Amino acid sequence: MIHQSILRYRGARYAWWALGLIVLSAALYSTQGGRQQPGGGTWQGYVLGSVGALLIVWLTLLGVRKRRYSSRLGSVQGWTSAHIWLGMALVVVATLHCAGRFGWNVHTLAYAFMCAVIGSGIFGLYVYLLSPREVSANNTGLSRAALFAELFELDRKGRELARACDPMVNVAVKSSIERTTIGGGVFAQLLGSDRSLYMRADTAVAAGRGAVVIANRDQEAVIADVGRRVPQASRRTEAANLQAMMVLLCRRQAVLRRIRNDIRLYAWLRLWLYIHVPLTFALLIALIVHILTSFMYW
Amino acid sequence: MEVLLRQMRPGPDGAVEFQDTELSADALSVGSGPDCTIQLLGEGVAPRHATIRGGREQLSIICRRGRKVALNGKPVGSAAIQVGDLVEIGGNRLRRVEPPAGFDVAIEVEANTQVAASAFEQAFRTDLSATWLTKRSAAWVVGSLVLLLGLLVPYSSIAPQRAGRSIPAFLPSDQFWTAGTLIPAHELAAGKRCGSCHEQLFGHVRDAACKDCHKAIADHVEDSKLHQTSLGEKQRCAECHREHHESPAGLIIRDDQLCTDCHAKSDSKFGPLKVQPVSAFSPSPAHPAFTVSLVKPRATRGEAPGVTENGAVRVDWQVRREPIASAREQSNLMFSHAQHLDPTHVTRTDDGGALGCADCHTPEPDGEHFVPVTMQRSCGTAGCHELRFDPRAPQMPHGNPRDAILLIQDYFVRRAVDPNKPLATLERRRLPDEDVQQESPCAGPSFQCALQRAQTEIESQFKTRGCGGCHNVIDTHNNDLSARFQVWPVRLTRDYFPDVRFSHQLHAVQKDKSGDAACLSCHAVKKSDSSADVFVPDLPKCLECHSERLQTDRVTLQCSSCHTYHPKTIIGRLREAEVQ
Repeated sequence: MIHQSILRYRGARYAWWALGLIVLSAALYSTQGGRQQPGGGTWQGYVLGSVGALLIVWLTLLGVRKRRYSSRLGSVQGWTSAHIWLGMALVVVATLHCAGRFGWNVHTLAYAFMCAVIGSGIFGLYVYLLSPREVSANNTGLSRAALFAELFELDRKGRELARACDPMVNVAVKSSIERTTIGGGVFAQLLGSDRSLYMRADTAVAAGRGAVVIANRDQEAVIADVGRRVPQASRRTEAANLQAMMVLLCRRQAVLRRIRNDIRLYAWLRLWLYIHVPLTFALLIALIVHILTSFMYW
Repeated sequence: MEVLLRQMRPGPDGAVEFQDTELSADALSVGSGPDCTIQLLGEGVAPRHATIRGGREQLSIICRRGRKVALNGKPVGSAAIQVGDLVEIGGNRLRRVEPPAGFDVAIEVEANTQVAASAFEQAFRTDLSATWLTKRSAAWVVGSLVLLLGLLVPYSSIAPQRAGRSIPAFLPSDQFWTAGTLIPAHELAAGKRCGSCHEQLFGHVRDAACKDCHKAIADHVEDSKLHQTSLGEKQRCAECHREHHESPAGLIIRDDQLCTDCHAKSDSKFGPLKVQPVSAFSPSPAHPAFTVSLVKPRATRGEAPGVTENGAVRVDWQVRREPIASAREQSNLMFSHAQHLDPTHVTRTDDGGALGCADCHTPEPDGEHFVPVTMQRSCGTAGCHELRFDPRAPQMPHGNPRDAILLIQDYFVRRAVDPNKPLATLERRRLPDEDVQQESPCAGPSFQCALQRAQTEIESQFKTRGCGGCHNVIDTHNNDLSARFQVWPVRLTRDYFPDVRFSHQLHAVQKDKSGDAACLSCHAVKKSDSSADVFVPDLPKCLECHSERLQTDRVTLQCSSCHTYHPKTIIGRLREAEVQ
């Protein structure tokens, strides 16, 4: 598993590094006290703060390293493993740096941003641990492009078959194809919601007004509509076309489910980055402000 | 508007097939999105590409920002569509045609039949990057807010505040940079203005800012002596007193190491100042034996001891520090603790009980010192030591020999000339310091007899019975009787350890002792007959109950439990100077 190799990269080397960093930081912290209360203002506090700040800058550089494919500064996998483990150790280093003293100030703001960045990173790690299994179970080895290609082909066949059917079936099927929603906004992707529609022509005729667009969630309505017509078919060819249409619509329903599920899983897989990256930038700014103001009012 | 949409596509036989859809709408959305009124797939077709709105007379197509269509082969963002105009979007063709009766607008839609599967996928928003969520913009927004509210706005508040102007409460001031709350006293003094102490940016808080309020504080090592040491440059107040630590306890360093860092290496640190080394609160030599500060007369140089030309007694007092083991008081007072604490010799006049420590020694409110023992306050109360040589005579003034002599003379002369003089003086009651004496017979004139009797009484009072009981009296043999006797001034040591903190109040109860037993456990006065004895306990006595480390049956003491970093004597001197 990819996620396992990230965490256990080279025998979980960076987990040991992180543990060592925590132990060293705790040992350094314990030398405080006596003449001065523990805090960021002691020499131990300055050391812990410097280590924390350098660590933050280095952790941020993962974003740069990922884009430099020709770089020989270690593998991206190694960087990512170190990023995860040392990032989690950073919480301890920063907490020891400030000696657990917080307030409504820019220093605690920087700490809060750091916690939010690390928290979002841990959430990202969590979804990376879970999602690959779910993704592969969902798409059974097919890529999303392959699923869309299949859907495209099903749509083409559906349109052709619809022309051979009753006009009302033709309108229903074609509109159901054209008004199928996939993905959409942030919440639609995250929730995998389906706001598909289709035009139900027979109702329109009965009511004496144009076609009526009704909800077609998970293609159930159009499948039910076509399915209802199968027993009513007066000719064998019509019945055969409707049977074939039913098979096609059901196949299409299954592909759409997979695509929507795939979009939902990938949305969750990438959502944390939309928090992690902006907050990292804010953390860097807050860190600069923290350092600057610490020396401004020395 | 009433719209007829005619979808045209080639049939299996090559002939064009039509499919009409009637719509009644104000606008028609065009794009690859399935919810569009006219759904078109193809390369470059956005999910929401354009909108067609208007009516029979005026129909126009308006593209979304950044999108274009080809109107009759010419790319446009928005344009009016006339009958016969052809609009192309991603290989799809829309042509406005003359509407049939009952319709305002008719559009023929010829969909692109060569749409690739990839273009099909692009018709949908299947990734978060296609939504309003953005990493870069969010990063800039949040980062800018932090920079603005965390640095720029607070920075801009400094100048108005220093000019005495207030800033709106909803804006973050430079207080947002605080590293923690101040202690309440400093919060009150600073008035929530950082500039009160932080006078300059990127500069340490200067001592002057501290001494604006703490005027009477003195340095641990006086400036005049600092250069003799190897302690280096004078430390700033804030190097030890770290503010913004949220608790007053954190403001003052109480760690023993603060002291022993220098005092354990006394020779190398203090050099010629000859400061005794201290490494721990343990038996000597780790901690030196105590020395007491005694108030003593300065040694005279060849002059008559203490007597000046005009007959007054002059004593030049000085404070001398002596080891307790060899320390002797020179208060010029004769007093026996042993006698006063022996109930067979001295009892209280009110209840007849034995005297206790508290009968003479009254603690001061600071719990550390005692109200000075004086004749009037401590000895003359409850009729113990009345300054009266006769029950009918007034009290003699204390501390003024001349007035006392004149009062005695006056008394005897008045008695000699008093026609209502009592026949005998045997009714005199015995006072503790007085022996019953019979007046000697006198055959001379009454005035002379009175003066003679007065002189006898004066000599008795000054030499044996009265003043001489407690004081060293000098008989100058002056012919002027009023100036003949002088008493050595008395000065009792009030504070044996002026630089040290010690609470008598906290020591009033010790383990199983309280009251006089607690006092006597440290001050061995019961067998002392001499007022020269010094009863202050030495280091071993303290170590019986105290330890520098946490230890069973011992109370832990730190250096700062007894010693003050900023010398009390200097503080006191500065205070006196302020008062003057």
